[in-house]
Amino acid sequence: MASTEGQYESDDGMDEFMDKFKTQRYKNAFTENNWEEEFDKVPMFMKKAPEEIDPQKYPELACLQAIIHDEDRTPEEIAKSLKDEGNAFFKEKSYEKAILCYTAGLKKKCGDQEVDTVLLTNRAAAHFHLGNMRSALNDAAAARKINPDHLKALIRGVQCCTALRLFEEAIQWCDEGLKAHPTDKKLLELRAAADKQKRAKERDARKAKAKEKKLHGEKEALLAAIKARGIKLLQPVKPAQGGSDSEEDEAEGSSAAISELSLDGLSCKEVTGAQVFQDERGSLQWPVLFLYPEHQQTDFISAFCENSCFIDHLAVMFGEELPPWDTDRKYHPQNLQLYFEDEHKETFYHVNPETPLLKVLQHKRFFVKAGTPSFIVLVKGFSFWEQFLTGRKVRGL
Amino acid sequence: MLSDSEAAELLSFLTPDTRPDVKGQATEYILGLSGNRDGCRFLRTKPDLLAALFALTSDPSIAIVKDCYYIFVNLSADETLHQVLVADVKILPVFLKNLEDPEYPFSDQICTILSNLSRHNKTCKTVFKVLQEGVGLAQLVEIFCTEDFNKKAKLHYLGPLLSNLTQLPEARNYIMDKDRCVIQRLLPFTQFQASVVRRGGVIGTLRNCCFDHTHHEWLLSDAVDILPFLLLPLAGPEELTEEENDGLPVDLQYLPEDKKREEDPDIRKMLLETLFLMTATKAGRQTLKDKNIYYILREFHKGEKDVHVSAACEKLVQVLIGDEPEQGMENLMEVEIPEDVEQKLKDADLKEQEELQKEEERMRQEEEEEKKKNSEAEGTDKKQEDGLIR
Repeated sequence: MASTEGQYESDDGMDEFMDKFKTQRYKNAFTENNWEEEFDKVPMFMKKAPEEIDPQKYPELACLQAIIHDEDRTPEEIAKSLKDEGNAFFKEKSYEKAILCYTAGLKKKCGDQEVDTVLLTNRAAAHFHLGNMRSALNDAAAARKINPDHLKALIRGVQCCTALRLFEEAIQWCDEGLKAHPTDKKLLELRAAADKQKRAKERDARKAKAKEKKLHGEKEALLAAIKARGIKLLQPVKPAQGGSDSEEDEAEGSSAAISELSLDGLSCKEVTGAQVFQDERGSLQWPVLFLYPEHQQTDFISAFCENSCFIDHLAVMFGEELPPWDTDRKYHPQNLQLYFEDEHKETFYHVNPETPLLKVLQHKRFFVKAGTPSFIVLVKGFSFWEQFLTGRKVRGL
Repeated sequence: MLSDSEAAELLSFLTPDTRPDVKGQATEYILGLSGNRDGCRFLRTKPDLLAALFALTSDPSIAIVKDCYYIFVNLSADETLHQVLVADVKILPVFLKNLEDPEYPFSDQICTILSNLSRHNKTCKTVFKVLQEGVGLAQLVEIFCTEDFNKKAKLHYLGPLLSNLTQLPEARNYIMDKDRCVIQRLLPFTQFQASVVRRGGVIGTLRNCCFDHTHHEWLLSDAVDILPFLLLPLAGPEELTEEENDGLPVDLQYLPEDKKREEDPDIRKMLLETLFLMTATKAGRQTLKDKNIYYILREFHKGEKDVHVSAACEKLVQVLIGDEPEQGMENLMEVEIPEDVEQKLKDADLKEQEELQKEEERMRQEEEEEKKKNSEAEGTDKKQEDGLIR
């Protein structure tokens, strides 16, 4: 019981009574040991009702049971009690318990529309506070069905719709409500808010669409640039169905296949985070992989301009310092040999480092795999180089 | 016109228990009369005929009821008939009541009649009075805004009716009631594609409402937010940058590429006039400037072919980009204009109108000449062809 200063004058000795608690421990307090047992005796906290209620031992419980379950009581009275119980739980924010009471009240099917409406509306409120928006909305709708003018149910319904971002529905609920309560400030406020949010949502959809369109346009332009140069993209290989080459890998000559390859052929973004793009001067810049099978190493160049030559990059990569994995210290730029592999025909093509990237990409047997051209780097004259190329077909460009 | 005895005979054919075919011929005849001005004027002198026709709107035969309604539509189009219809025959209470019935098959005709009757101030006042005694403006707006309220009638002509009613301050105050949601329900209809009548009626209503500058702040606030609804019909599929978009009101951002502008030039002009009305107060001007609507108007003006609409646009833009008026003159509608200045302004307006009309004429003539040239050119070619063949 709250007692604010001065609210209770000392007439009834309340102040003194309350003050005592500051100094004295009250008698018959529950202890650590016996509190569970004691709780079980309090009707409110009983986990289960005792089979036979001895009115001598548990007078309160006997009383309550008589009240709640007396056969003589009408369903309405029972439902009303349950409503009150639920409201009590609601007040102390025990929403789940409140819901149980309201549900029990509804189960009575007492036939009193007013009671049912309140039970549903209150249950909706309890669900709302628990964040169960769908359940809350259903209950509000059910209440509205019984009594279309019930203001609390209408307001709750609007709030649920708004929380679920169903703004159109929220506005409909408002308009229905305003028919019966045309000047209700809360409804007017909620309607304006829902309308504003609805229009913001529509704008967001338009914005997303515009962005998507722009991105798509950029992708198309990129693909067109690639195609115009006669560069072929290979679709990522689908999980193999047996040994034979599937039609999809065969990209040469078939323009239909090339246009199909579209955006999948460019995406290696997941692996390297880079993608081919067109710079301000219209040149394509490619992500390129250099593979060093001798040492199982790779180098990745995120933007290799199509007009640059391989030697430009190799000179930078190997010119000043040799990489740490080059234990033999032999990977000097002038000793390096470049190859690309034509997997389908199992042939290696020797690339002159002074060739610009574009020229190589345009080679009729060059297929860009996973959007990233890759090249094998070997050092001429050494045993690995010999071993690697033995038994393989090698061609010049 | 009919003699008195002929008129009396006609009247006798209009009693409810007359044979249907005779009744039908009588109503058909009167429908013909009502189709021209003299016939209408004649009927004006015979209120008993009109009363009989009014009674026949409850006739069991749909064909007869239909004729009667069309007669009243014709009669209501003539202003001189308004008094007798409203005061003597007293058509208003019954017609308004019928509107409430979602099954009434002749609601569209009723709307047209009411729209006609409310055009001029005097009868408009009577219409409003009877309306408020019965159905009420609230219900009327509700009916108007409810999609498919009446399966047999579209009720688009409630638009012009509302527009006409708002020439009365009482009606405007009702529509702009801050404690209710009335005008807000009308706003979406500024984009209503299916009917130019409904759309035009709503925009006319909004324009009339904007004459009351005391309501401007509320109209421009979030509670109503009238601005986007006035601008959307004028906005097109322009490609604006992300920055430009973000500066606009939410509803005007990122419009799709298939966005079409309002097709009816009169409606476009009304929208611009309404916007112009909103520039009367300093706060209103500031809001319009802040919301960057200039971009919309700039693009709009580029494509506008109608000279009158163009002029209205230019007038609005002038205020938006011009300097603020000096102290004491901030509310453009309250500025006191000395008589001689007022006369000069009126003359200038008149001259501008003349110029606009001349320009319109000139453009039309140019078009015709173009057409002529093209057909002449064809003719010349033909001659040459003939020559060659020979």
